[in-house]
Amino acid sequence: MASNPRPSDNNPPLKPWERAGGSSGATPFKPPSAGSTSDVVDASGTARPGEIVQSSGNTTNNINAVGRPVPSRPWEQNYSTSNYGGYNSTLNYNSGYGSGMYGSSYGGIGGSYGGVGGSYGGGMYGNNMYRGGYGGLYGSGMYGGGMYNSGLGGTMGGYGMGMGGPYGAQDPNNPFGEPPSPPGFWISFLRVLQGVVNFFGRLSILIDQNTQAFHMFMTALLQLFDRSGMLYGELARFVLRLLGIKTKPRKVNPQGPNGHPHPGLEGTGANPLYIEGPKPAPSGSWDNVWANDAGK
Amino acid sequence: MPVFKTPFNGYSVKFSPFHESRLAVATAQNFGILGNGRLHVLSLPPAPASPLTELISFDTADGVYDLAWSESHDSLLIAGVADGSVKLYDTALPPAQNPLRSLQEHTREVHSVDYNPTRRDSFITASWDDTIKLWTLDRPASIRTFKEHAYCVYSAAWNPRHTDVFASASGDCTVRIWDVREPGSTMIIPGHDFEILCCDWNKYDDCIIATASVDKSIRVWDVRSFRAPISVLNGHGYAVRKVKFSPHHRNLMVSCSYDMSVCMWDFMVEDALVGRYDHHTEFAVGVDMSVLVDGLMASTGWDELVYVWQHGTDPRAP
Repeated sequence: MASNPRPSDNNPPLKPWERAGGSSGATPFKPPSAGSTSDVVDASGTARPGEIVQSSGNTTNNINAVGRPVPSRPWEQNYSTSNYGGYNSTLNYNSGYGSGMYGSSYGGIGGSYGGVGGSYGGGMYGNNMYRGGYGGLYGSGMYGGGMYNSGLGGTMGGYGMGMGGPYGAQDPNNPFGEPPSPPGFWISFLRVLQGVVNFFGRLSILIDQNTQAFHMFMTALLQLFDRSGMLYGELARFVLRLLGIKTKPRKVNPQGPNGHPHPGLEGTGANPLYIEGPKPAPSGSWDNVWANDAGK
Repeated sequence: MPVFKTPFNGYSVKFSPFHESRLAVATAQNFGILGNGRLHVLSLPPAPASPLTELISFDTADGVYDLAWSESHDSLLIAGVADGSVKLYDTALPPAQNPLRSLQEHTREVHSVDYNPTRRDSFITASWDDTIKLWTLDRPASIRTFKEHAYCVYSAAWNPRHTDVFASASGDCTVRIWDVREPGSTMIIPGHDFEILCCDWNKYDDCIIATASVDKSIRVWDVRSFRAPISVLNGHGYAVRKVKFSPHHRNLMVSCSYDMSVCMWDFMVEDALVGRYDHHTEFAVGVDMSVLVDGLMASTGWDELVYVWQHGTDPRAP
């Protein structure tokens, strides 16, 4: 396969289909314009140099009359700062997190607000507690006066006590020291999260494209853990050996028949032998190996 | 036929349009999920039995998902990187002087690059930020951005005869045909019920386009009547990752899939599957056919191997 002498630096050889000539005739395309691509686009008035487009929500949905409803991408699941910053501005606080992995930790906010609300304890992590905290602010439509004054209120308080501390601030799952925490925390937290979201974004695209990919990834991950487990085990043993500590495999005191310890090993110094060396045949005979009187 | 082992997982392979013994491979660490990337420029050995040799390689800070050879200069290479950048490399210069340019406009991973084969001064990139961007070598920024798709755009390909026309395949299950002089897409083909991962134009009939989808099928369309496909090619066991028409034969195309196989098809005959190659042991995600040598093929995959072989022979044969 010797290299052809190249035609020129600036022009590759004619493509096979260009040499073949003619195409299928009538086409729905406009005839090509003369000039360079930049000139052609400039002349058409469609040029918009260097436009930066954020992927979320940029597309005009009315154009997308066809195709299935598209899933939301993992990197755009309502992680906007307004949701985090605007504690007092929005009620759909928890909706952005979905129900999965973030649910419980963000629930902690509910807890802290419960504390601010004054009565409800941080113990309940879900939506209910969160809204409970807001009960005072947003009118009592849902919880009504009952929450504060009646038996129902008592019950709510009881839940709070039962599940955690009575106050949000003492909630071990509360990510804040004192509520309300500044939004700056969330923004910095988000930046850390961004890398994670990136990772899961690519992973989920792969899964989108092929569920088999997910299986492969998990297999690879499991293998990795498996190997590292071995590695660390061996490493620890090696270090201990260096320190002069002999690590013996754990002694197994094997059970004899009927649950009794093996008689041949009792009270003798032959314990390690049992594992490391060959077992002496009891009574020089194999006939009664499994009998209770072995070795007698 | 020769094999090359890459340190990272293969993502794309392309033959040079200038040198028949040269090809480039885009790779990404950890299956492209996390880590670095590397671009290899390889040379075919004079004797088929010897291994592929590496001419040069370039490291990137994120995985390289696709590459394209320039059609205007034999040493220019364009890489689509997972961090959203598009990088230009001159393979004649040492790695220290590369990349020549890094164009950072896409806000998500760049999944495909295609160089305009007819006008030869521009290229398009398709990205997970739902857009396609048009670039020329004489401008430091993109000329324009095509944003209509409602989900990641996985691939974009120039029409081989109409220099202003290209097609794009997206996860919103449509293929769109664009003219760079028009403000919006000129055609929307709702090609599959699942995501479309790749599209390519027939080189001999400028109205025929093939699409590869997560639904495991390849469909061939005539853009003049796209209500129904001309042909549906079934045979892959998992999502079809790439499809490419032969530069030498009107009816032939090659595809690679997550079922780890590379298939050759003749879309005009009843038994469309004319060849299947099972040489990869992981997902086959990159495939190409040489424009200069009839029947010469290359493939790469997540098994970190690049194979080059002649159609009809065993890629693994020594």
